[in-house]
Amino acid sequence: MRGLGWLFFAFLLLYLILPMLAPVVYSFSRMWLDVLPQGFTLDWYARIARDPKYVEAGLLSLRIALMAVATNIVVGVPTAYAAYTWAGRAGEGLRRLLQVLPLLVPPLVVGLGFLLAFNRPPLSLSGTLWIVVLGHAALGFPFFFRTVYAGLAGLEVGLLMEAARASGAGLWARLRYVLVPNLVPAVLSGSLVAFAISMGEFEITSMVAGFGTITLPLLLFQSLREDFRAASAVAAVLLYVTLLALLGLTFLRRR
Amino acid sequence: MRGERFLLLPGLLFLLLFFGYPLFSIAERSLAAPEGLTLARYAKALAAPAYLEAWRNSVVFATLSTLVAALGGLFLAYWTSKLPLRWKGFLMSLYAIPVSLSGLVVAFGFIVLLGRNGVLNQIFASLGWPRFDLYSWAGLFSVFPFYNIPLFALALMPLLESVGRSLMEAARASGATPFQAWVRVLLPALMPGILAGSSLVFAGMMGAFGTALALTGFAKNLLSLQIYSLVAESTFDLPLAAALSVVLMASTGVGLYLLALWERRYRR
Repeated sequence: MRGLGWLFFAFLLLYLILPMLAPVVYSFSRMWLDVLPQGFTLDWYARIARDPKYVEAGLLSLRIALMAVATNIVVGVPTAYAAYTWAGRAGEGLRRLLQVLPLLVPPLVVGLGFLLAFNRPPLSLSGTLWIVVLGHAALGFPFFFRTVYAGLAGLEVGLLMEAARASGAGLWARLRYVLVPNLVPAVLSGSLVAFAISMGEFEITSMVAGFGTITLPLLLFQSLREDFRAASAVAAVLLYVTLLALLGLTFLRRR
Repeated sequence: MRGERFLLLPGLLFLLLFFGYPLFSIAERSLAAPEGLTLARYAKALAAPAYLEAWRNSVVFATLSTLVAALGGLFLAYWTSKLPLRWKGFLMSLYAIPVSLSGLVVAFGFIVLLGRNGVLNQIFASLGWPRFDLYSWAGLFSVFPFYNIPLFALALMPLLESVGRSLMEAARASGATPFQAWVRVLLPALMPGILAGSSLVFAGMMGAFGTALALTGFAKNLLSLQIYSLVAESTFDLPLAAALSVVLMASTGVGLYLLALWERRYRR
């Protein structure tokens, strides 16, 4: 009975690990026609690094992700702070709302809503870079908020701020000398989460992006049919980005 | 700190502009007619056989996915929680990867392993077994647990860590068989976590379409794919897509509400 349990546990772990390993192994192998791959090569990485189509898509994805993260920092940090200090029902209500929101409003609906809302004045954004950036920012917002809020709760920031106020520090001084330094790890964690979401995002992007905004995941979707070799390198790169973001998160949590 | 409540303003504005306004637009466009309002699109969304089938498929698909994730996730979380601390930390980090990985990378990995010429299919062939078809319903059911199981396990781990081990030991010490300890003691104590994980998986599966689109295109009739095809394909009809999205959100909402009601019974 125990042996059977271990066997099933090992099977589950293999089931989780093999699909992640496959793009990496594929991207480094010259041929993979039989059970085992043959020959080591960097050609597929060279192919996407030399093709302006892939380079531009990669840079565009990076730019969009950074802009989405910046939007989240500007909007999300004050919100998480206010929701945290405003202990009563309103703060709790906001926290609840942001917990349910991504469940009730999937990326599919965010994408459709953006298409319908922002294709006409007063806010006509369709076809621009901004509709993609804001779509990614909206998708990441609940997760960014949650991460920063958890960081605040772990640090007793409220207590520190109260102490600073009691010693006569004004709002600006309290923000500058107490809140910001304590908040940096939490904000970095939230930013990594939002960054990882944006870099891999396909669903909203494929709905709202115009012909001029082909991100890396959109290109990967095309390459899955047209150029499986290049696709392996793109998939591996996206996997590395996720791994780096998660490593960063683990590092921040350890501190 | 009353004076600082204005800090909530940017967030509220953001939510209003990028969730409230788009949702309002969806509702408005789903009802709008050249003159006044119409329910014609809802009638179509709720009566056309193709959409009814899509709706049924989505609900069944999300429910079965939730069951699979609950069984697999419960097992994975329980087995992980028994390991030494070093291993546990490593595995928890491992489970975070599938959860945050792009759905297209997942699709790529499974095509390499289980596609027509996939590695595992070659092994199956050499053993004389039938080939596994990744581009079928069974194929979709082999792919989605890849993120649903770790998602569920991660949602359950904190509760399992805080109550699970000691409860099991107490139950076993008072003479319960392993089965009794599981069913009478551990499962009821874990129920809030199980239902929270189920909400995540159910809602996620109702709306998911990226990975399915990459694998099976529009061949499988899911509500999310129907909506996407009305937005992105030649069948372009945004008002109808809006009505179908309202149906999708309502169905997800009912599912989540039932899970929340169920959870309330276990809250102390």
